[in-house]
Amino acid sequence: MTEIIQIIIDALSLGSLYALGALGIALIFGVMRLVNFAHGDTIAFCVFALLWPSIDAAAIVFAGNLPTSLLIPLILLIGAGLSVLSEIIVFRRFRNANPATMMIASFALGFVIRYFLLMLYSSRPKSINLWANLSEPLDLFGARVPLLQVVTVTITLLILGLLTLFLKRSRYGLEMRAAAENFTMARMLGVRANRVIMLAFALSGMLAAATGLILVTQTGTVDIQMGASLMLIAFIATVIGGLGSLTGAVTAGYLIGAASVLMQVVLPFDARPFRDAFVYGAVILTLIWRPNGLFVAKSAKQRV
Amino acid sequence: MSVKGETTMKHLSKIVFGALMAGLSLGASAQAADIVVGFATASSGFMQAYDKPAQDAAMIRIDEINKAGGLLGRQIKVVTADTKTDRAEGAKAGLEVIDKGADLVVVSCDYDFGAPAALAAEAAGKVSFFLCAESVKAGIQGVGPHSFSASVLAAVQGATMVDWSYNKKNARTYYRLLDTWTEYNKGICDGFDYQLPKMKDAKLVGSDTFKNEDASIAAQITRIKSLPKQPDAIMLCSMMPGVVSAIKQIRAAGITSMILNGSGVDGSYWLSATPDLSNFYVPAQGSIYGDDPNKDVTAFNAKYKAATGAEPSSQYVYPGYVLIDVWAKAVARAGTTDADAVTAKLEAMKDEPTLFGPRTFTSELHHQNKGKYLIVDIEKGKPSVVDSWTISDPIPLSYLLK
Amino acid sequence: MTARKSILARTISTPIILTLILLAVAGLSLWVNNGVFTRTIIEVFIRVMIVVGLYTFIGNSGVISFGHIGFMCMGAYATAWFTIPPAMKKYSLRGLPDIISHNQLPFYLSITLATLFAGVFAYIFGKILVRLSGIAGSIATFAMLAMINTVYSNWETVTGATSSIVGIPRKTDLWTGFAGAEVAVIVAYLYAISRSGLALRSARDEAIAAQASGVDIARERLKAFVVSGLILGASGALYAHFLGVLTPDAFYLGLTFISLSMLVVGGMNSLSGAVIGVVVLSAIIELLRTFEKGVTIGSETWSLPHGAQEIAIGAVMIVILIFRPSGLTRNQELTWSGWPSTKLSARTDEPIKDRATEGAGA
Repeated sequence: MTEIIQIIIDALSLGSLYALGALGIALIFGVMRLVNFAHGDTIAFCVFALLWPSIDAAAIVFAGNLPTSLLIPLILLIGAGLSVLSEIIVFRRFRNANPATMMIASFALGFVIRYFLLMLYSSRPKSINLWANLSEPLDLFGARVPLLQVVTVTITLLILGLLTLFLKRSRYGLEMRAAAENFTMARMLGVRANRVIMLAFALSGMLAAATGLILVTQTGTVDIQMGASLMLIAFIATVIGGLGSLTGAVTAGYLIGAASVLMQVVLPFDARPFRDAFVYGAVILTLIWRPNGLFVAKSAKQRV
Repeated sequence: MSVKGETTMKHLSKIVFGALMAGLSLGASAQAADIVVGFATASSGFMQAYDKPAQDAAMIRIDEINKAGGLLGRQIKVVTADTKTDRAEGAKAGLEVIDKGADLVVVSCDYDFGAPAALAAEAAGKVSFFLCAESVKAGIQGVGPHSFSASVLAAVQGATMVDWSYNKKNARTYYRLLDTWTEYNKGICDGFDYQLPKMKDAKLVGSDTFKNEDASIAAQITRIKSLPKQPDAIMLCSMMPGVVSAIKQIRAAGITSMILNGSGVDGSYWLSATPDLSNFYVPAQGSIYGDDPNKDVTAFNAKYKAATGAEPSSQYVYPGYVLIDVWAKAVARAGTTDADAVTAKLEAMKDEPTLFGPRTFTSELHHQNKGKYLIVDIEKGKPSVVDSWTISDPIPLSYLLK
Repeated sequence: MTARKSILARTISTPIILTLILLAVAGLSLWVNNGVFTRTIIEVFIRVMIVVGLYTFIGNSGVISFGHIGFMCMGAYATAWFTIPPAMKKYSLRGLPDIISHNQLPFYLSITLATLFAGVFAYIFGKILVRLSGIAGSIATFAMLAMINTVYSNWETVTGATSSIVGIPRKTDLWTGFAGAEVAVIVAYLYAISRSGLALRSARDEAIAAQASGVDIARERLKAFVVSGLILGASGALYAHFLGVLTPDAFYLGLTFISLSMLVVGGMNSLSGAVIGVVVLSAIIELLRTFEKGVTIGSETWSLPHGAQEIAIGAVMIVILIFRPSGLTRNQELTWSGWPSTKLSARTDEPIKDRATEGAGA
């Protein structure tokens, strides 16, 4: 019984990580139809902000030494700042470009961020111990669960709740939802395009920061490639969830996390290294079954 | 731009290529009196963090030889080319240093990234040496008859840890956790697999795999915890960066078993991620912590610090020094830098003493399948050398090549 | 009314110009006569093959495929299986069937078989994936790439898993590379002017109207998918014989994104764009690398800091895309009348956005 609880919590916490990442991608995708390939590198950047730039093997913890109440807002601000900066410098020029161009531009931007970090910090992964007390195990119905896993799930659900509230109840949220549904119409009705887009980028940047903080607390390592694999799963989850649908992206994130954990547990030893092949196969099947995603908005139906 | 202006753009790019040629033809040619050592390694990109430290150690040995009068009465000159952690660039870097007259081509620390340059050297009939590759392919089997590696095979690390923990710590039950990311990791576990059946009463109670980039290995840990009794030792065949996360999660789940590793985790730079880590053992060719039983190693550490500004960050610095050491000895014995003659002298080396352990090369294996390792124990986050161990028999070549 | 010239006669200028460009590149290598530079040029030719192969599917169908590098991986490993000497194969690749394990095929036969091998899998995967449009199709192709990569990275007995396989005879020289690129351009051109290519492009621009006119979109996409799979398989085979060593991680995201970038920067919907994108970006990369190594002007040596080359190329790509969102060739083909300008083609400059993606809500 404790094993089942353990597995459920494992699935939930991995799913939460994927869901957070997917949310960051889905926000921008919903408003701009842009897949932000720089998201993974934004995550890495936020985490590197904890360290002082140096190519030594040992990490020189700089901002990471601040007390939690200052650290979290600072990193969130850095994430939002980087995202908004990318929007102003790069993405604004591509407002009317076709999706492929925007995608390549975001990839090139991510490339630049990554190699910039490489120059400052060298490719050697650095270690940092953030909030060590979160690694303490908690006794939950007999299962020993690291506190961090519980915190991850709680924080993700909290963020989701806040975001949903923001989108449904506030004026800016309303503007964002309108812009995501039909950008041109929304502008004609008085929604300021730049404001909505910058807001989407700022929120996405903050989500990247939150994802990065959870990752670094869990793994203890700061590495240039940190966000990369997460970013890809997030990208897949966004599409499976339904174009631009935030609830869809989150649900898909949890589903992929659950599938991954399940495969790890259920597969026989020889097949376990091929776990990812099974997960991606499931992705393809899902797409064939539901090409428009799991949660399809009414307006997505094609009209001739 | 006008239509005419656009077509000139095409012509411009060709002029640019011409400028490239001018750029490529720089590189002073070595004087006939110098012996040239070419480093086709990574000065940028991912591998730079691993190649540069070993390269710095190699330079220290070159300096020592030059100060002592040189090799065969000639000074050693160094030429470099950047592989940019790219395989195709690696092949070009190998060709470049050969063009600059290299008698020895030193290639990247990792077999996958060093092989293209090594293959180029082999095709040109030059001796190539891997800075610290620990795969059996880094040598005859993966490159050719004139290729060598300066480090010790990964399998030896796995076998050494099992052997030592069985004999010195009375470990009897083992759990094998393999990170499927690289050949190096699999090499460690291969050595473990080889050695374990030879130990009486030692049992493998379980086995699992994970991927280095997995953010969470919760499912794997659950499997370990659901065993009736915690294993005496966990053989963790993994490397940076994911190994740190794995260790953190294992200890956070309350698993207190011994953790045995390969040399890939040597170093104290990552320990801040797992404060108060204990019961953790790492094999190393030399101690970077200042407590090596051989005083000369500590002296070397100081020399390294003087040359580069910081103490060695991991034991992977040492094979760079050993590389130049054994090659220079072979050249001195052969009286020439000709590849065949030098190779013959290298293959004649049996238990040749070096600063970091004996080295043996044979006509079948240009790598170490047996080696003396220091056992570093980390208690409460502090590493220290507690023992030294050599496996009794070398791991047979047939097993390594399976 | 005068008879309209055949489509071949009207568009033949494009492949001729592209062939001349490729010849000029090969000629440059002969002129410089430096082993290292020649290797760079061979790499350029292989990249041309890759990007032209990508264009064949992406440019004609409008669906961005992230997965085609998987076919390159398959072609590369296939030719490795066929050409590594049996003495080496027996130990490192135990799982190969005996007929492959005991034999070593000649170079050209092996390349052809490897191309067909990739083509077969392109057909199988294509059958499943071509029904998906737009971004769903792209994600599915990405999942396909990840699947291929996972299988190749873990199937030890057949592919050597993550360890490099060695022993591939290094036969790709300058003219082999040129021949590969030339064949790719010709095949892509022939497909583009064929009935299937035309039908597919019509579906790219206006899916509903094309369907109403009787175009079976899935079938035309499958044809393009297989042709591009064949070209990429061939490029993989040549690459294997160029490097001599193979690992699966060389055929994953890094190469995928660089190739896609070269295609988009050149002009996604045009064959000329594919070639120009590769040639221009490769030239810029090489120039930057030379500066990284250091250029001596007079008595001073100027050099970029290490790692600056990658940052610079990323910035250059963004700048090019800002000024030319549809790529350097503006999605037009090169003809004798010079570089494509905006005057003639303002109407067809921007591809028409896919309606389905426009209205999706949160």
